[in-house]
Parts: sequence; structure tokens; C-alpha cells
Amino acid sequence: MGVLEHKFQDNIVVEKLDKLLGWARSTSPWYFQFGLACCAIEMMATAASRHDLERIGMMPRSSPRQADIMIVAGTVTMKMALRVKKLYEQMADPKYVIAMGSCATSGGPYWQHGYHVLKGVDLVVPVDVYVPGCPPRPEALIEGLLKLQEKIQKQRPLTKIDS
Amino acid sequence: MIDDRDKLIAEAVEKGLQGDMDTINGIEDRVIRSKAKAALHKAKKVAKESGTGIEDSKEETASPVDENQSPNQIVFAYLEKKIPGSVIVQEGDLEECIYVNPSSWEAVSKLLRNDEILQFDSLQCITGIDIGEGILESRYNFHSMSLRHTIEIRIPVSIDNPKIYSIEQIWRIGDWFEREVYDMVGIIFEGHRNLKRMLLPDDWEGFPLRKDYETQQTYHGIAIPKVKEEWE
Ligand code: SF4
Repeated sequence: MGVLEHKFQDNIVVEKLDKLLGWARSTSPWYFQFGLACCAIEMMATAASRHDLERIGMMPRSSPRQADIMIVAGTVTMKMALRVKKLYEQMADPKYVIAMGSCATSGGPYWQHGYHVLKGVDLVVPVDVYVPGCPPRPEALIEGLLKLQEKIQKQRPLTKIDS
Repeated sequence: MIDDRDKLIAEAVEKGLQGDMDTINGIEDRVIRSKAKAALHKAKKVAKESGTGIEDSKEETASPVDENQSPNQIVFAYLEKKIPGSVIVQEGDLEECIYVNPSSWEAVSKLLRNDEILQFDSLQCITGIDIGEGILESRYNFHSMSLRHTIEIRIPVSIDNPKIYSIEQIWRIGDWFEREVYDMVGIIFEGHRNLKRMLLPDDWEGFPLRKDYETQQTYHGIAIPKVKEEWE
């Protein structure tokens, strides 16, 4: 860190505020606990002790107000689509969405004949990471989450971008 | 082959009329057996009407434990007797179900629930089906927990005026069953106190399990694509 490095005592770290924020956000992305179909079981398995999401700082919150990430795990029906949107709007910024499984990314098995299934949750909310699979294994979901962490770390919330 | 079958049925009916049901019950092929039973039923009815009255005095006491008769046959005969014209007779169907006239369904349902001999105290399921050719059908599976017999009742209605008397207040479980049938095939249950959609949103258009159902294009501005090849 240039001139400031090693100028202080041992337990003081010097870092850009942007990077610090990125680090803090990416290592504690609490997710909104809400499952819609079979994929939700796999999400629960990911959170349970074998795969243990709290290793990477994630824990489930039962209210959208306290959550940073929404994991859309499962089939989104038209009836639910309006509610998913409402829940997303209730989350505080910064907020991220993971579409888990082929249902949430594209309609999945209901692509052809599911008259009431939303063909991809990106039709109602912006999606950051898509995790393919039917259902994705916990490893796949964790990879998606790590990708999301990378994305969060790259963001510079305090830097003004001239466009 | 067909001659053989007809002969077999005729023989079995002959024996059955003389009170020997073992021949009919011993027929191995299920289709032939049911045909034989239907034919026997018809023969008995003819005999009854013409006054020859072969061993039909048994039915006056209508004992439900008669081992040779299926619950369907017992209930069928009983309904015929109690509420004439309530049952639609369709040959060969008696093995599986009883067709009931929609106009008599109110009386029949109350009888099924409360009668000493029937006592169908449990409604297990209601299924709604679009049979095609303008007919909707509502199918009820009943079970009697006290007498341990089971029947299936079917009620056909026309698709232009699909109205059936609601049994929601006779079997309370029927509340949600009927709402689901309404939701999916659009049979209107008259007298239901809360007949609204069950699974689909309230403002959904059409009834998805009908044969002529067309998916709507959008729902609250969200696209529901029909042709999906070029859809992004
Ligand atoms: S993607 Fe597969 S496992 Fe996941 S909700 Fe859809 S059908 Fe179920």
C-alpha cells in the first residue's frame, strides 16, 4: 500500500475503503431463506452441516429486510412470480439474486407445457448468477455463491464512474 | 373366439339366474367376467319386471354382506329402489362405477351419507375430467369406514352448462376438492359457499384441464410464450 505500508503498528491494516467494503460485503452475504420446489431441498442440504454455508459467511435470514442475497430455488409459478418480485423489492440495497436450477433460469422441465410456470425468474427480477442443474448439487450452488462473491468483490461502491 | 365368449357368458348367466354365482366369479378374464355380470344383472331385471321374480326376495332385505355382489351392484339396486331414475344405466360399467343423474345428485348424496345400509361416511377424492365431445365428468370415490365398502360415483354434465349440486356441506372435505375441480375443469358446484380458484391466481383466464384450453399470452404483463423456438 505504497507509502503508508509498515508505517503503523502490527495490528493495523491499510486498505482502500472500496476494497474494504467489497471484502466485508462478499464475506457475509446473508441469504433470504425461501424455497419454492425440489431445488429448495438441495439448498437446505447446502446449508446443513456437511456442506456448511456458514464457512463462507452465509446464514439464512427469514426476512427480506435483513437479507443481501435471494436464492430463487425452485419452480416459479405465475402466481408466485408477482410475490417474488414484491419480496425482491423489499430487500435493502445492495441486493443480489441467484437463479438456482433450470426452473429458475428458464422454466426447466415446464418449458414446453407448463402453462403457469414463469420461464425464467429473470423476467421479473435481475439475476446475477445462474446455477444450472435439476437440481444443482450443493457443490454447484457453492460454486455459484463463490462466483457471486467474486462479483461483489469487484464492485467499487464508493468510486464515481464517469461515463 | 367371439362365439366361445358369448357362449361362456350365456352359460354363466344361466347358472347365475339359478343362484349359482361360482361360475361367473370363476371366469378368469376380467373383461368377460364383468360382461357376464352385467348381462346377469340385466337378465335379473327383465325377470323381475316380467314378474317371474327369481330369488329376488333377497334384495328386499338388501343385506350388504351378500358375498356374491360387489358394493356397486348393491348400491345400484338400492338406489334404483329408493330414488327411481337416479342412476344412468350403462352396460358393463357396474364393475367399476355408478353413473348418477345430475338432477338426482342432491337426493342421492344425502342418501349415501345417511342411509343405514350405505353409510358412506368418508369422501376420499373428487376428480374432474374433460371426457371430450362436450362432456365434463365429476368422479367421487366414497368409502364407508363402518361397513368397509367402497364405490365410485360418476356424474356427467354438458360443457355448456356444467352445474352439479355441491356436496360441500355433506362431506366437509369436499370443500377443497370441489374448488380444485372448479379451478381445473370449470365445473360449477351449486351451493358451495366459497367457490373460488384453488391453485391458480384468482384472475387467471380459462380452465387448464379442458381439452380446448388456450394458454393466455401474458399475465400481469409477464410473457407466457407459446411458440418457443425464437424466444429469448
Ligand atoms: S430445476 Fe429441477 S429440481 Fe429444481 S425446482 Fe425445477 S424441477 Fe425441481
